[in-house]
Amino acid sequence: MMAFKSVCRVFYRRLVSSAAEARIPAAELRRLRSAVFSREQERQRALVTRTEKIEVTMQCPGLQGSLLVMNKGVSTPHSCARHLTEWHVDSSALALVDGEPWPMHRPLTQSCSLTLLTFKDQDPVLVNQAYWRSCAALLGQVLENAFKEEFTIELLRSPELPVTSGSFCCDLVLDPRLDAWTPSEEALRSLTRDAQQLIHQNLPWEPLEVLPPVALEAFTHSRCKQEEVEEMVAESPSGTVTLYRCGDHVLLSGGPLWPEQGSLIALAATGSPRNLGEAEEESRKAGGATPSR
Amino acid sequence: MRLSLATLISHGRVARRIGLGPKSRIDMLRNILTGLVRFERIETTRGRADEVQFYAEKLIDYAKKGDTDEKAMKMATFWLTEKDLVPKLFKVLAPRYQDHQKAYTRMARIPNRTNLDRAEMAVLEYKGHPFPPLFHPKRDNDLTLLNQLLKGYREERARQTAAKSD
Repeated sequence: MMAFKSVCRVFYRRLVSSAAEARIPAAELRRLRSAVFSREQERQRALVTRTEKIEVTMQCPGLQGSLLVMNKGVSTPHSCARHLTEWHVDSSALALVDGEPWPMHRPLTQSCSLTLLTFKDQDPVLVNQAYWRSCAALLGQVLENAFKEEFTIELLRSPELPVTSGSFCCDLVLDPRLDAWTPSEEALRSLTRDAQQLIHQNLPWEPLEVLPPVALEAFTHSRCKQEEVEEMVAESPSGTVTLYRCGDHVLLSGGPLWPEQGSLIALAATGSPRNLGEAEEESRKAGGATPSR
Repeated sequence: MRLSLATLISHGRVARRIGLGPKSRIDMLRNILTGLVRFERIETTRGRADEVQFYAEKLIDYAKKGDTDEKAMKMATFWLTEKDLVPKLFKVLAPRYQDHQKAYTRMARIPNRTNLDRAEMAVLEYKGHPFPPLFHPKRDNDLTLLNQLLKGYREERARQTAAKSD
């Protein structure tokens, strides 16, 4: 069994090294990343062998001091919300665990106090930022799938624009053959339609906290992504990075994303590309969106 | 009696017919008005609330003349069947509305009664009472996403107009 595993790994490495020059098709790349993600997710789930209980204190208005007894490493803020009411499940977009922003689908690791944040809170700044970030991530996912197989697209770290700027954006490196390409109105409309179809599928963003080697393995073929991973590791105090997967699209994010895509509504790609870098050809896509909640 | 176009062409029928006759009507209105002065917020059928509202306003107008005024005291003793409320009218309600010119009361529609007659109901109240409000003021939060987007849009417009005028 062990031998088989190591053979697999060697074969995989060889495939990677040979394929780096041969330009892997985008679908294959997505599948590989998704496979790495699934493997790591299964490994982390297998680590929880014994059910231990933790106590979660709710801090939402009207629920002060309510105590929920949940499972360590299994229960998420979403499952806490399911113990409350349907309104909590539908409207909460983000959780605060001991004051730290926490994605709704990430398991809780210890006894903590939990606040569920919604759009209509007194102070929805964190939720707005998470929403904007999620929109940019969705736009990136659409763009990656939008081009033909023969062109390579690499997503860069999307800059965080403030909500008052009215648009979110995502940066990408386009294929050199597409230098002269500027998106026409039809192209933007088709991107918008792709985004709407994706939203209609209502896929969740699954968060997974991984150590840097795993993240580097997932992004073996992308130099930009690897640099991004290293930057994020240097920034984060715990030395880990958070990967998100939506469908088969694996991405890195600087902060928590929304629980699922169905709540993003009326998203439109309205971007004009601008040449930003000199060494690299970067494009910037902008979009606007309004929430459904 | 309210003077309006509807009154003019109503052939002398200026008010709803309530109770069994004119005397019964006045008694009923007196009882409801007494309850209103005592509790400051009452629930009754919509027609009765609408009729009483006029008398409740008028009573405050008289009370604002002061308890030394003969007409005012006569009105108060007539309309308040429970005489312990006369001091309350002059000492509590009249000072409360010194700054107001009119509209001392507020009427709100509430769901129909659930018993057999399904009567339309209303709440009648004197303003400035100590109870929790019937309608909560709408919260206007500048930090919601849409308001933030609108704020960004307004700022951009202001910048554009400033650039144009230069």
